[in-house]
This record gives sequence, structure tokens and C-alpha cells, in this order.
Amino acid sequence: MTDKIDSIHNAYISNRRTVGLVKFGVGLALLVFGFWTVSFLNIPMDRLLSLFGRLGPMLTNRIFPPDLVYATEWKVLLSLVETIEMSILGAFYGTIITIPLAWWAAWNITPNRTILYPFARAIIVLCRSVPALILGFLLVAIFVFGPFAGVLALTIGTIGFTGKLMAEQAETIDMGPVEAIRATGAGPLKVFVFGIWPQVKPAWSGIIIYNWDARLRGSTILGFVGAGGIGLHLRLQISQLEYHAAMGIIILVVVLVIFSEAISHYLRERLR
Amino acid sequence: MPITDATLIQNPLRRPAILLRRYIIYTVVVAIILIMSLHLLVYGTDWSRMGSPSEIADIAISLLPNLEFIPKIMTPLVDTALMAFWGTLLAVVMSVPVSYLAASTTTPSMIFTFPIGRGLIVLSRSTHEIIFALIFVATLGLGPLPGILALACRSVGFMSKTTAEAMENVDRGPVEAIASTGAGTTARFLFGVVPQVFPIFLGNAIFAFDANVRRAAILGMVGAGGIGLHFSEQMRSYNYGNAGACVLAVVVLVIVGEIISNRIRTKLISG
Repeated sequence: MTDKIDSIHNAYISNRRTVGLVKFGVGLALLVFGFWTVSFLNIPMDRLLSLFGRLGPMLTNRIFPPDLVYATEWKVLLSLVETIEMSILGAFYGTIITIPLAWWAAWNITPNRTILYPFARAIIVLCRSVPALILGFLLVAIFVFGPFAGVLALTIGTIGFTGKLMAEQAETIDMGPVEAIRATGAGPLKVFVFGIWPQVKPAWSGIIIYNWDARLRGSTILGFVGAGGIGLHLRLQISQLEYHAAMGIIILVVVLVIFSEAISHYLRERLR
Repeated sequence: MPITDATLIQNPLRRPAILLRRYIIYTVVVAIILIMSLHLLVYGTDWSRMGSPSEIADIAISLLPNLEFIPKIMTPLVDTALMAFWGTLLAVVMSVPVSYLAASTTTPSMIFTFPIGRGLIVLSRSTHEIIFALIFVATLGLGPLPGILALACRSVGFMSKTTAEAMENVDRGPVEAIASTGAGTTARFLFGVVPQVFPIFLGNAIFAFDANVRRAAILGMVGAGGIGLHFSEQMRSYNYGNAGACVLAVVVLVIVGEIISNRIRTKLISG
């Protein structure tokens, strides 16, 4: 009896030792990995330490006080309006394209699982995986300088962003009404309009509003590559080293984004 | 009861006033979209400078990836992934105190510290990573270090917000049970709140890493390290094939990052 207990105890102790050793090894490996990445990235640690010493004078001398006179000039405000318009248009056109794509990319309701499902999934994944700024740069090169490229980039960004969320949402719906409408002999379009759309409408509306909010954040920076909006003025001021004016624009953008977040929060609360 | 026209009119959704209001809203929305499209896409775009369809197709074809360039951008690609990793790690560390301040259940003072925490979250969430990168590049010089700090500042808002919400919605039962043993505030927090919040926290950290990979890919455009620098260099020198290779590398990196983070998250959720 005691032998048995002892052997169980010994097994427990040795097991605990192994677990401890493994944990120690993993921690050591992570530490080595951390040091290796620091040397791989050529991070100058002395600069990191002097960050706070430099950040203070820079904020006080170069950035503060922000030049709000420039930021409230007519052309800057007009480009701010252009930014808002770009975000709304991109979100709108993107959503119109996404609605059928999300329908096709939801496994439970897709009309065709062999062709349409992988096709829609591939488009959504591709649109998701290109960052907006890179896309804006490419589209400016392909088409033309200005808000056209920006709206197109935001449309593609919307497809990637809402497509995934809306398809995931559609995969959680109740299949009962869908089956019932299918049983009447309705075609895929009628099944979508009468069986799926009423169920997904509230959640999709929330996603669409949230997406507009996210697009507005993205559109403030698209002007950096010449794709329209206020980013162009920001870039001009920074390349002229006019940090006061740049800070004024940044404050304008932050206020706009906070405002849009409040609007989107209010709209989503009202939908509930 | 037989369905007649009268019962259909009784339907509250079909009352003329409601229908009229709905159609007015639709008309206004369509009108706004049309005016904006006219402003931006018809008058705001320089159509005379847009090439003919064949020219557009030529440029698009010249953007096809030049695969010989890919070995040269492997190092910046790894840089990008590591920047995302370190940025997320820093954000995770920074989000602990910020979410402690910004959760109404744990914050020391609702008047002083709560607004500070919330303000930091709003500031971090509403500022684009490029703007953070510009500030840090101006302070610290070029390289991956300002990029890492920019990513950390950018994602600390998301991490703190979700963590603060999780801490506010925590189940009070275990906390009270620990309090009833005579435990102090620290022990209540460590053994009552942290075990409940930790899985959510970890899942969100992985989500933040996924988002940071995308963000890290563009930071190089303003000199904050990673593959964005090579992309914008190749674009500016009209080596469109090489720029296409950079885009291809970014797409592959982002998709791989998403697959890995999805795997880990489903494993975390299923236990």
C-alpha cells in the first residue's frame, strides 16, 4: 500500500519537475528570441532611453502650440469635407457590392457551394489583405491623382472589412424561415429577399455603420499618397517641416474621428 | 379572419405616413450619394489625365509581381512581422494600467483617473498609426523602433477598451467569495478578476497582432521600418514590377498572420 502511494507520489513529483523544466525551457527560448529580434531589427537601445528626453522638447518647441489658423483655412476645411464624402461614398458603394458577396460567402445560405462560395471568399480575403494606403498608392498609379482613387480604395477596403463580418453574421441565422421559403419553390433571389434579408438586416446595419466609421479613419490618411482628402495637406506641411500647422491638421482629424465615433455609436444604439 | 385590403392597411408598417417617411429618407440618402458622387467623381476627378483603357491596362500589367525581387525583400518582411510582434507586446503591457484606470469597477477615482483612462483610449483609437509614426520618426530617427512604438500607441486603445469592458462585466460571485475569506483589494483583483478576464485579454491580444501586421506593412512609407519603405521606393522609381512583388509579399504575410491568429483563437475558445 505505502509502496503504491510512494510510487504515485514519485510519479507526481517527477511529472511536476518535467512540467517545470518545459516551462523554464519555453521561457528561456522566448527570452533568446526576444534578444535575437532586437539585434535583428538593429534597435538602438540608447535611443529608446533618450526618447523621453527628446519627446518633451519636441512637443513643446516643434509641435506645441498647434497652428489652428492654417487648419481652419477654407481649402483645408474643404478637403476635410472631401474626406468625409470619400468615406461615405466608399462605404456606400462597397456595401452595395458586399451584400451579394456576403450572401455567397456564408456557407449555410450560399446558392452554390462549388463555384460561388470559393469565389466570394477569395475576393473578400484578397480585399482584406491589402492595406488601404498601399492600395491607394497603386490606384493612384493606375488611374489618376485625386479622390477617384481614394473612393476606389475605400470601396475595396469596405468589401474586405464588411464581407467577413457580414458573412459570419449570416452563418448564425435561423435556417427555419429559409427552408420554409425554399419549400414553396422560390428561387435563390426570393429566398434571400424574404428568408435571409429580414433576419440579417439589424446586424448588417450595425456592421455597415461601424464600417463607415472605420473607413473615415482610413480616409483621413489616403491623401498621403495623393488619393484625395486632408492627408495631402498633412503631408505637405510635414515635408515642409511646418510641424505646428501639421499638428493643427492632426487635431482637426482627431476631432472629426471622435465626432464620427459618437455618431456611429448613437446610430447603432438607436438600431437596437 | 379573411385577409382583405382593410386588414392590410391596418398593418402598422404599411400606414401611408410611415411609408411616406421611409420613402423621403430613401430619397434624401440617394440624393446625398448622388451629389457627393457628382462632386468627387465627376468634377473632383481630373478625367482628362486619366489614361485610355488600354493605357490603364498597360500600367496594371506592369504592376504584376516581379518574382526575382522577392528574395531581396525577405529581411524587411521579417522585420515587419517582428515589428507587429513587439508592438503588440508593448501594447499589451501598456494596456494593463490604462484599462485599470478606465474600468469603472476598478478605477481609484471616478473624477480624476477614470477620464484620464478613457481619454487615453479615445486618443489612441482615433489617431492613425501613420501620425504616431511621424511623431516618433521625428523624435527617434528612422528604423523599426519608431514603428514599434507607433504600433504600440495605436493598439493600446483597442486592448484597453476591450479589457476594461471585460473587467466591468466580470462575474461578481468569485470576487465576493474571495472577499469573504478576508482577502484585500489586491488579492481580490488577482484571484477574482484576473482569471475571468485573462482568456478575453489573450484573444484580443492575438486579434491586435493580426491588425498590427497590416499596420506594420505601411509604416515604412514614412520611414518607420518594415516593407513599406521598399514598396514606396520602388513605386517612386517606377519599378512597378518590384512594387507588385512587395504587395504580393504583404498579402501573403497578412493572410498567413490571419490564419495563424485564427487557429490560436479557436484553440483558446475551445479550451
